[in-house]
Amino acid sequence: MNRSVGKILSFSLIAALLFSVLSCSRVDSGNYFGRTVPPDDNVLRYVSGAEPESFDPHISSGQPEARIYMALFDGLVENDPKTLLPIPAIAKSWQISSNVDVFVFKLRDNAKWSDGTPISANDFVYSFRRGFDAETLSRTASLGYFIRYSEDFNNGDVFVKKDGRFLLEHEVNGTEPYTVNAFGPETEFAKFINGPTRLTLPGDEKERAKLFEKDEKLRMAVDGAEFVPVSAEDIGVEAVDDMTLRLTLRQSAPFFLGLLAHQFFRPVPRHIVEKHGRDWTKPENIVTNGAFKVKHHRPYDELFVIKNENYWDAENVHLDGIKFYPIDENATILNLYKGGAIDAFLNHSVPASWIDEVRQYKDEYLDHPENATAYYSMNITKPPFDDVRVRRAFQMSVDRDALSNYRKVTKPLYDLTPAGIFPDYDKARAMVSEEMRVEKKKTPEEWAKYNRFDPAEARRLLGEAGFPVEGSEGNFACPKFPTDSVSLTFNTNENNRMVAEFMQAQWKRHLGITVSLKSQEFRTFLKDRNDLQYTGLAQSLWSGDYMDPFTFLGLHYGRQNDGGSGFADKEYDRMLDEANSELDFQKRYEKLARAEAYVMDKLPVVTLSIYATNWLKKPYVKGMYPNPGTLHPWKFVYIEKDPAKWDRNVDNIMAESNPRTTAQLEELKRTMTQN
Amino acid sequence: MKDDSTSPVKGTSLWRDAMRRLLRNRLAVFGLIVLVFISVSVIVGPAVIEATTGYTYDYIPADNELVKAMAPSLKHPMGTDEAGRDILARVLQGGRISLLVGIISTLVSLIVGVSYGAIAGFLGGRIDNLMMRIVDILYAIPYILIVVVLLAVFGGTNSPEWIKWLTKLIGAEGNQGISQILLLFFALGLVSWLTMARVVRGQILSLKNEEFVLAARASGVSNVGIIFRHLIPNALGPVIVYATLTVPSVMLAEAFLSFLGLGVQAPYASWGSLASAGIKNIAIFPWQLIFPGLTMALTLFSLNFLGDGLRDALDPQTRKF
Amino acid sequence: MLGFILKRLLLIIPMALIAVSVTWALIRVAPGTFYSSEKKIPAAVEAKLREKYGLDDPWYKQYGIMLSNIARGDFGISLKYEGQPVNEIIARHLPYSAVIGLLAYLLALAIGLVAGTIAALRQNSAFDYASMAAAMLGLSVPNFVLGPLLVLVFSFWLYLLPPARWGGFTSLILPVVTLAAIYAAYIARLTRAGLLEVMRSDYIRTARAKGLSERSVILRHALRGGLLPVVSFTGPALAALLAGTVVVEKVFAIPGLGNIFIQSVLNRDEPLVLGIVAFISVLVMIFNLIVDIAYGFIDPRIRYE
Repeated sequence: MNRSVGKILSFSLIAALLFSVLSCSRVDSGNYFGRTVPPDDNVLRYVSGAEPESFDPHISSGQPEARIYMALFDGLVENDPKTLLPIPAIAKSWQISSNVDVFVFKLRDNAKWSDGTPISANDFVYSFRRGFDAETLSRTASLGYFIRYSEDFNNGDVFVKKDGRFLLEHEVNGTEPYTVNAFGPETEFAKFINGPTRLTLPGDEKERAKLFEKDEKLRMAVDGAEFVPVSAEDIGVEAVDDMTLRLTLRQSAPFFLGLLAHQFFRPVPRHIVEKHGRDWTKPENIVTNGAFKVKHHRPYDELFVIKNENYWDAENVHLDGIKFYPIDENATILNLYKGGAIDAFLNHSVPASWIDEVRQYKDEYLDHPENATAYYSMNITKPPFDDVRVRRAFQMSVDRDALSNYRKVTKPLYDLTPAGIFPDYDKARAMVSEEMRVEKKKTPEEWAKYNRFDPAEARRLLGEAGFPVEGSEGNFACPKFPTDSVSLTFNTNENNRMVAEFMQAQWKRHLGITVSLKSQEFRTFLKDRNDLQYTGLAQSLWSGDYMDPFTFLGLHYGRQNDGGSGFADKEYDRMLDEANSELDFQKRYEKLARAEAYVMDKLPVVTLSIYATNWLKKPYVKGMYPNPGTLHPWKFVYIEKDPAKWDRNVDNIMAESNPRTTAQLEELKRTMTQN
Repeated sequence: MKDDSTSPVKGTSLWRDAMRRLLRNRLAVFGLIVLVFISVSVIVGPAVIEATTGYTYDYIPADNELVKAMAPSLKHPMGTDEAGRDILARVLQGGRISLLVGIISTLVSLIVGVSYGAIAGFLGGRIDNLMMRIVDILYAIPYILIVVVLLAVFGGTNSPEWIKWLTKLIGAEGNQGISQILLLFFALGLVSWLTMARVVRGQILSLKNEEFVLAARASGVSNVGIIFRHLIPNALGPVIVYATLTVPSVMLAEAFLSFLGLGVQAPYASWGSLASAGIKNIAIFPWQLIFPGLTMALTLFSLNFLGDGLRDALDPQTRKF
Repeated sequence: MLGFILKRLLLIIPMALIAVSVTWALIRVAPGTFYSSEKKIPAAVEAKLREKYGLDDPWYKQYGIMLSNIARGDFGISLKYEGQPVNEIIARHLPYSAVIGLLAYLLALAIGLVAGTIAALRQNSAFDYASMAAAMLGLSVPNFVLGPLLVLVFSFWLYLLPPARWGGFTSLILPVVTLAAIYAAYIARLTRAGLLEVMRSDYIRTARAKGLSERSVILRHALRGGLLPVVSFTGPALAALLAGTVVVEKVFAIPGLGNIFIQSVLNRDEPLVLGIVAFISVLVMIFNLIVDIAYGFIDPRIRYE
């Protein structure tokens, strides 16, 4: 900073002006958007969104951080740059038990931290334990709760020891004992972790007392017992040997491997964390194991990461570095892009009004299916939305095709899970839907409109619920509807506002109900939404954490879920559990689809749209794809200096094959099939 | 002036005199006419547009083909925004909010700011010190935080009846969304008088030792009389100019708060929020900035001409006209 | 005079504490916490977080801890940005805002004073109307409109200046001009009004009667008195400018203090908010003190007892 101020002052006005005239001469951009000149150095300039909260992959849950962690930390697996499916990273291969509840990973023997320290299975054990330790204050730990006893450890729960042995869950609950089939080398730890599920109780005495009050049998069973805190050593993570890591889950989770690419599961360097404590992420202390390492960090200005020479796959890292710019003002980002000062930027940053304009630069504008949905949660704990007929009326009086037409890149969403992302699941869903139709004795015509757009039916439902709609087309009114106690709450943001205004007009037109809009700054909004303090409807956006429908269906799973509606249903939870313990791929999807149909019957949400990626990259940036999560494994990205090889009239970048990227992927996946 | 001040009978003729001089100032009269015209349009305009074209500030056409940004035409003299809404209708409705924001904040600034500054400056000493330090503290407290808290505490569903009544004055249905606008008025009023108080105090400090004040004091005029009859009229020039400066600055402050989600609620608009939405599309849909921007600029210009005219008219020593 | 300054300087500390305390109370009342997010965080982690930051302690205890930290000049660690001390954040981002703010104010002062003075001296002349119209334009074009317009012209039509980001002198021109426009307009108008007010006062009449040249009447006498409103305005304006201006920082992606301040409020990052409020309040009070001192020099009629 001081240096740049000094520099500024030393520049004379005239010299500067001359310089600027010379350096920024007009560039003919041809069919590209704005100035299209690759950077002189081999360093990518990428706008990553808000300023990162922390470089500790266990801490932040944010999207901007996720992109940065992908450059700095290598996990067991990495996302495929196009499909996001797991590809080998630190783990060169793995084996999965037939129940999909035990994973054994073989690690590479040449993986090192950026300071040269080798990485072993113990680093992962340490990292997982640290992530689940409540002291670490990880905001994303719940993603990993599938690992056995990790939720109990994170919550500070206790095992119950009576007469020298631990009480088991099935003994107290009277359920079937749950055990894990042995898989991989037999060890002492395996015997414990595979054994029948132990009983766990809240660590807090008051909480326990509450539980006992409700459950006399439980109180009797644990009477006189000793409470042993669930410790880090009790979770289902084990270093079988230096290069073998075993994860044991509490239930079958077919999607779990894909989840392992998430930042929460990327390792942190034990020797550095223990040396510096919380300061380990400071640029002068931080040690990473990814393709890049921190060069410097100027908050709110620039994070510069450079190639990590100690990276195990360093020879396949093409960029010399990446500059992450934390900018969240869309107009500014677009200006920088047009001026050629950045090479690519984060998703959802082209304002809707600009889409038609930038769409003509089809080698730069990336509009592809995304693993993300937008919906409105309805507060089902408060009238009038406690009545499913009212909820369905709101769902069925929205013309989603018109909404998509207005939003330009999104597609209509009619279910919880976006269509077109999981093709096999779509098939299963269609099958289940047909079953449902027969079950409900509806004609195909009726069924095609069910939960979709049928304003007449919506008005009928509303009337049935006690809010008759009067008037005629173009002039409806619903005088009995309590508009005073219903509003549509959203956090301030241009896109949210535009959608809300459109939706308000839809309901006004089709139901004669004017839902007032309530735009709130983010923190206020979060409190209102998460604590169900809002009345009526609240904006919800959900980006899938991994490539499986469960990332969307799980939103309404359990008592404390992130669905935002106050929906909690034991039957739904049971259906999902059952689906996840189904090992046959297609049958599992069918069971999930049935669960989805079940929740769509209860309808805690108004579905809106399936998102599409919406960002730009220069034609000379290669190996970077608009995958469904816009997550970029940076080692595949390179800058093509030769204009002849730039993207030109590429119809679908996801279908186009880039020999360099393909070869790199093949080489990586080769180890996968070795054993 | 000093002569006038001791004979209140002549004081009434001063105002009539001022009026006459104001009306002789062509620019001021122009400003006045434009302001009256804009105020009237803002009041009756939305109804007229709805009657003629069926568009309101929040009407999104049912025909999907019309849901897009369209250039100005006979039907939409100012064009439409991306939702196909008529910008003229939105400018007129936005005018209600922007003008009210301006008027309320200026009134607060004039009433509170001027008296506060004058009293502090005139009394001087400890009281001046205390009063000005309070102003300093108010400067330092982030008013965004004040707005957040105000909204959280009072912005709920159960806004009192009088708030609903006031919201109807702005021309909207009395639902909960709009009470946020009133809180906004309140919050902007809260901060708008601070600089005015400092400006007035500075003027008064320099005037209070003048002979005419001594003369007034000698002839037994009370402190209140000296402040409001003698000192403030002599400081009126900067006061009027600063008041006309307050209007644009609060309109911008409103636009900024709207940007943060703390200002006017969608689908309502204000001139500031229309301009901030328009500037993003300046290169593709220029009408979205130009018309709201021009309306706002015209209003501020007129206000300024009127302000200058008033200043000159109230200044007994400027007899240029 | 010295006593007066000393007294005022001593006052700054309790004043800043009051400002900080009020802000502290406001944050407590504001809904939401720094750790809230779309995904609910695990209950145990939330409990640990609240315990770590003492959020469940009685308010007087939290207040006491906050005060004692501040008394030691330590504002603590940012809640949102793990491990970054507040003092460091302020020190790091202040220079950006200060450079831009100071340059903008100097530019505004130069333009505003000259234009305002000439306009006042030639009241109702063409120059008067033209410059006041220009000033009005400066006031009625919001900076969030002016900034992007300048970018459009200078970065995309003329290809002269970079559209955003900090880096070298050329990158400063657009933000400084954007910021200066409104202040130049203010100053021009205040100068004109102040001068017109003074020009008809007795002492100017006396000066003229003494046979002083018009030039020295204006420079020696009129300008001094006429500048009072400008000076009053300068205190808070300069403080606000130095502490950053959000809109310009956002439009031009400059890592200044203004944007960070707004973000910290929106993030409920309490230590950071309090640190910046304390800093701004000290800044405002120092500038206002300087203004009050300047009053005495500019206008000998003003005396502080």
